[in-house]
Amino acid sequence: MQDLDFYFAFASGHQLLDGLKVTLYLTFWSNVIGLTCGFLLAMVGVSPIRPLRWLYTCYIEIFRCTPILLQIVWFFFCVPILFNVYWSGEFLGLLILGLNLTAFNAEAYRASIQAIPPAHHDAAIALGLGSRVTALHVIMPQAALNAMPVLVTNAIGAFQQSALVALVGVADLMYQGKLLSTQTYRPIEAYTSVAIIYLVISVVFGQIAGFFERRNELYR
Amino acid sequence: MNSQQSFIEVNNLQKSYGQGLVQVIKGLSLSMNNKDRVVVIGPSGGGKSTLLRCVMGLEQIDSGSVSLEGKPYVSRSAGDRQTTIDKTVRSSIGMVFQSYTLFPHLTVMQNLTLAPVKSRGVTKAVAIERARGLLERFGLSAKANEYPNRLSGGQKQRVAIARALMLDPKLMLFDEVTSALDPELVSEVEQMIIGLAENGLPMMIVTHDMWFARRVATRVIFCAEGVIQEDAPPDEFFENPKNKRTRDFIENVLHAR
Repeated sequence: MQDLDFYFAFASGHQLLDGLKVTLYLTFWSNVIGLTCGFLLAMVGVSPIRPLRWLYTCYIEIFRCTPILLQIVWFFFCVPILFNVYWSGEFLGLLILGLNLTAFNAEAYRASIQAIPPAHHDAAIALGLGSRVTALHVIMPQAALNAMPVLVTNAIGAFQQSALVALVGVADLMYQGKLLSTQTYRPIEAYTSVAIIYLVISVVFGQIAGFFERRNELYR
Repeated sequence: MNSQQSFIEVNNLQKSYGQGLVQVIKGLSLSMNNKDRVVVIGPSGGGKSTLLRCVMGLEQIDSGSVSLEGKPYVSRSAGDRQTTIDKTVRSSIGMVFQSYTLFPHLTVMQNLTLAPVKSRGVTKAVAIERARGLLERFGLSAKANEYPNRLSGGQKQRVAIARALMLDPKLMLFDEVTSALDPELVSEVEQMIIGLAENGLPMMIVTHDMWFARRVATRVIFCAEGVIQEDAPPDEFFENPKNKRTRDFIENVLHAR
């Protein structure tokens, strides 16, 4: 086995950095989509109108019950053909990652809305709170707090899963790592460096989230 | 007192769950004046909590009506698709529940001021002032800025009562408010309710605590099989119940203690 030499990884830092920028871009926008559309979708999921709830279930099951790699590949190859659009790889990537995250976040929101004790609805009526005030000041804040840990887990998951778009040619961190490995014939150093970057960012983000979660527990 | 129109009037109330599968209240009528404190006792499934929930306007009923000061605010007649509820009238009634219903993401103070500020248009300063007064009166001042999970069960229920009082209810409903409490915490909540009773607040109470029932009630109602079996002043009710079903029940609960 040849000697390990990590120096080149630093020397190619700009290359990995370019990849990391794309990865963070994908993660950020897929989370923006996931957090907002997931919430709106959850509203559909708890709607009293049954056909809307069916629609919700269909969406959730499609994204939960197929491999995300397949979702990405299908999206990259079929959407441009079906809709005759030519979007950049980054845009298609953040879109499909966002749609996937929407499904998982919607479930988190829905579960935490339904976890609120029915007696809170009764109490809101007994206090003469209208449905708007009840939703805004009683249900949503509690649901958001309940959902937080799962949303954070999903967000970190999206960061890692974004690596899959390297397979369809989006120049993210994973892609640049692969490139570096083939350019330098040093797969161990290249992939290890990439792994460390993913690891450090995930751990730091997880710790920050954990701190806020512990603070929230004060009023659980 | 006869000249006075009745304060609360429950008229031939029928209520079932599961689309008529389980009939819980079977044509119950009850009238109560504004000096009354009605304690409802009876076996589980006898309809006492359901009665209170119907008076609060939390339930769809099958038929009948409930009126406050002559105004029917919960009603449904044959052929109506659903229960008609007058929310304005309903908002003059307060209710406290068996399970804790303080909103956990709000402090005690925020729990108290939420409804007056958001639904009654009271200014925040006025609401806070009023909340301070109530907390002071009930010995809860130190807890104003705590979140509910820092309170004992007894304190939670007392705050819940104070929260209802923020809206100046004409009638208070207490649905087994001490049933979820540790025994040593029951008394502080009951004492608070007794204090309100002595100030002349009309109330309907569902409880399993016979000492408390006797202490607080002007009338005790025995509710079983969806109707009122007995309705008498507390002394008469406990000492000389007329109905055999009532006698058996009292016998059983008193012996069980």
